[in-house]
This record gives sequence, structure tokens and C-alpha cells, in this order.
Amino acid sequence: MKKILEISLGIVTSIGGFLEIGSITTAAQAGAEFGYQLLWAIALGGICIIFLVEQGGRLSAVSKHTIPGAIRERFGFNYFLLMFLVVGLVSLLVFTAELGGVCIAIEFATGIRYWWWAVPVGLVVWLLMWKGPFSLIEQGTSLLGLVTISFIVGAIVMHPNWSSVARGALPSLPAHDSARYWFIAVSILGASISPYLYFFYSSGAVEDHWDDSYINTNRVIAASGMSFGSLISIAVLILAALVFPPRGLKVDEYSQLALLLQDAFGHWGFILVTASLGISCLGAALEIALELAYLAAQGFGWNWSKNQRPREEARFSLVYMVVIIIGVVIIAAGLDPLQLTIMSMALTAATLPISIAPFLFLMNDPHYVATYRNGWFSNTVVILIIALASIVALVTIPLQIFGGG
Amino acid sequence: MDLIRDCLDKQLVDKHGKPMGRVDGLVVEWATGQQPRVAAVEVGAVTQWRRVHPRLGQWVDNLRRKIGVVRNDPCRIEWDKAVSSAIEVIADVEAEKSGALDWEIWLRKKVILKIPGA
Repeated sequence: MKKILEISLGIVTSIGGFLEIGSITTAAQAGAEFGYQLLWAIALGGICIIFLVEQGGRLSAVSKHTIPGAIRERFGFNYFLLMFLVVGLVSLLVFTAELGGVCIAIEFATGIRYWWWAVPVGLVVWLLMWKGPFSLIEQGTSLLGLVTISFIVGAIVMHPNWSSVARGALPSLPAHDSARYWFIAVSILGASISPYLYFFYSSGAVEDHWDDSYINTNRVIAASGMSFGSLISIAVLILAALVFPPRGLKVDEYSQLALLLQDAFGHWGFILVTASLGISCLGAALEIALELAYLAAQGFGWNWSKNQRPREEARFSLVYMVVIIIGVVIIAAGLDPLQLTIMSMALTAATLPISIAPFLFLMNDPHYVATYRNGWFSNTVVILIIALASIVALVTIPLQIFGGG
Repeated sequence: MDLIRDCLDKQLVDKHGKPMGRVDGLVVEWATGQQPRVAAVEVGAVTQWRRVHPRLGQWVDNLRRKIGVVRNDPCRIEWDKAVSSAIEVIADVEAEKSGALDWEIWLRKKVILKIPGA
């Protein structure tokens, strides 16, 4: 019974915590500019993240190591430092984009420009982390994040042509703007395969004292949670494909996102989009700030836990405070959260090989995963993900130049 | 024991299980005519950065002396007091008295405890 409850809670938090500013923006841009044609990118990203989250959970359950801790041990300080700097910098940008997303949602609700909300939102994020307990806050924001299911309901209510939707699940070449098409595809992969998702999940497994009796629980949570989460992104793309082209819009301003559910639910649609954006970005901002503190503390061997008091983990607390301050300064300075989101998703994609490649070694090392090593299928999938991530890393910068605008 | 696999970069905890950092370095003594022996494990930023480049280690050491928060970096734990388990290296010392947590203690006193609710 306890396991069923844990599975249910794990799936609910995965679904509620899946959608964030990056997945909403990239899916909306894909739908607005290319109809259903980029659905395959979300499906592909969803499959990749299921495998990575499952492997991160399995590593932690069997070895009691977090991913950054295991990478530091297995690959040494220099590789860890490289990953820390690269993943840390990109995660900082993503955090800032999420903070901007919360501010944009409040702008939708109040009409007051987003940069005025940077300091109050930053204070709320800090206060939630400072006062904790974070487990409760995490589950609370994830439960509230279930409001994002309204995108699935909205997509069904809009009666899309389901055979066209199904055709979009198969990769196809674009009829126009090839560079832009591939740039959005890469950004979708960056938004779907966010390192913070599997780093955060593996830390949770260690904190919740998972052992090898959780192997199946982990598998069910990873597969179900990430699949349902991807379905919400797919629903956003479908809605965008139905809502924006008739209006001649391409999602080049955040304010246009407010239209996503308007045709389906009228004024309630506006309220639902605002709530979804605000809650999902707040949840993601909390998770990413925490993930950055985890990354530093686990790699350098400091005291860390999401449920300890700040006085017991001064360096850990200082990291998330600095992250919040940097994010607040950037948003308060008026940097466009849309441009920041697009750039940070592309950079996430470009840096994926650094955080994914170690999986191939860790998940085959009996020192860490004992008899729960990857089989040939899981290894093939990881090799394909690394190959995909490497190609993506190589093409991201040229695509950013030719297709990012 | 394979020193690199079983000791270097592992989590270091004190006798109460309190994290002290990671094993950033190993000190090996090699007296003339004798077998080399591991004398100590090292923890600290100087050793970490020395692993990236010796000059960076020197630069961090100079910076540490100027700031003056950390008493001794790297902090050395005698090898005889360290036991390696599957997950961590356990040192038979008190973390807060060892010098490995000087930065943590300074931050706690000077910054974190000054903020309400810490």
C-alpha cells in the first residue's frame, strides 16, 4: 500500500512538475510556425527523458549515490568541475527564465510590467526555500501544477484533426524555413531533456532512502510521470497549431501565450493559462535553484538536504541565495524572458553530452549498480541519446545564428 | 585497495557521519629504501585547483592567505584515521575541529545566522 501511495505521489509530482516555461514556449512556437509537424521532437525528448530519469533513479536506489556525486567519484574532479560550470551556468539561465515566467504570469493577471515583479517573486522563492520544509512545498506546487492538465482538456475540446496530429509524430522535413524548423526542434529537445529533471530526481531518491526494492517503483514513476508530462507539452503544441496560424501569430511575444486556451474556454482559458504559467514556472524555479545547490554540495561533498535548516548547511543555502539574486537582477533589468528562454533551451541542448555521457559508464559499472546494470536495450538507447545530443550540440550554435531569430 | 577508485574523490565524513568534503588528494610518503606509503588524505580548494593546474592551486592558496578565513588548506587527515567504506571515507576526527569546515563555520556565523529564520 505504501509503495502504491509513493508511486501515485511520484507520478502526480512528475506530471505537475513537468511543464515549465521552456516546454510551453518551445511547444507553442513549434505549433504556431509548423503546425503539428514537430510533434515528433516532443515525443523523442519524452522517450529520452524517461530513460535518463529511470537510470538516475536506479543509480541512486542501488548505489546510494547522487548523479553529481557518482560523476565526481568515477570521472574525477576535473570532469566534475567542467560539468559543474557548464550545467550550472545553463541551469542559472533556465532558472532566470522560470523566474521571468512567474513574473509574466503576474503581468497577465495585473497588467503591471513583469520586471516590477522580479524582486517580490524572488523573495517568495527564497522564503519558500528558507523556511521549508521543501518536500511539502515541492509536492504542493506539483499538485497545484496539475492545473496544466487543462491544456490536454483544451486540446480535446478544440477537436483537432487527429490523423494530422498522428502524422506529426513521424519526423518529416519542413516545406519552409529549414533552419528555423531545426532550431525549434533542438530547443524542444533542450526543454524536454533538462539535466535538472534527472539530477533532481536522483537527489530525491537518495533523500527518501530508496534501495533496490524501489527498482520497479522507480520504473513506473519515470515512465508514467514523464509520459503524461510530455502529453501536456503535446497538448500545448496542438493548441498553438489551432490558435495562432489563423491569427497570423508566431509567438514572438509572451503576451500571445495567453491566447492558448481562449478559443477552448473563453475568459476561463486566460485564467487557466495564467495559473498554469505562474504555478509551473514557480515550481520549476524552486526545483532548479535547489538543483544548483545540490550540484555544488554533492560534487564538493558539503552537507546538503532539502529538509535541513539553513544554519546546518550554510554553503548549500548560500548557493541558492546567490542563484536567486542573480536571477532577480537579470529580470529586474528588463531582459526579455522570451529571448532568455529560447537561448537557454538551445544552450541546454548544446551542453547535453557533458551530463549524459557519464550514464553509459556509471550504469554499466557493477561498483555502482551491482547486478542492476543496463541491458543491451538500455545501453543502445543511451548511446543513441548521446549520439543525438552530440549532433544537437554541434548544430545548435549555427542554428541559433540562422534560425534563432 | 585501489586508491584512485576506492578513496580519491569519495565523500569524507567525520566519526559522527557529518560531511567534511570529498577526498581531494592523497599524500604519499616515499622514504629512501622503503616502500611508498599513504600518509594522509587532503581536503580543500587548494588541492582541488592544483589538480586542474598547479598554478591555479598556487593562486587559490595566495587568495586563501589574503582572506584568512581558512586556517589550513589543504586540511590533512592522517591515513591511520581514515576508513574507506562502499559509499564514503570515514575519518576518526571531529569535522568542525578539523579545519575542513572553516568556510562553512565562517559563513554560518557571519552570514546565515544573521538572517531571520536560519
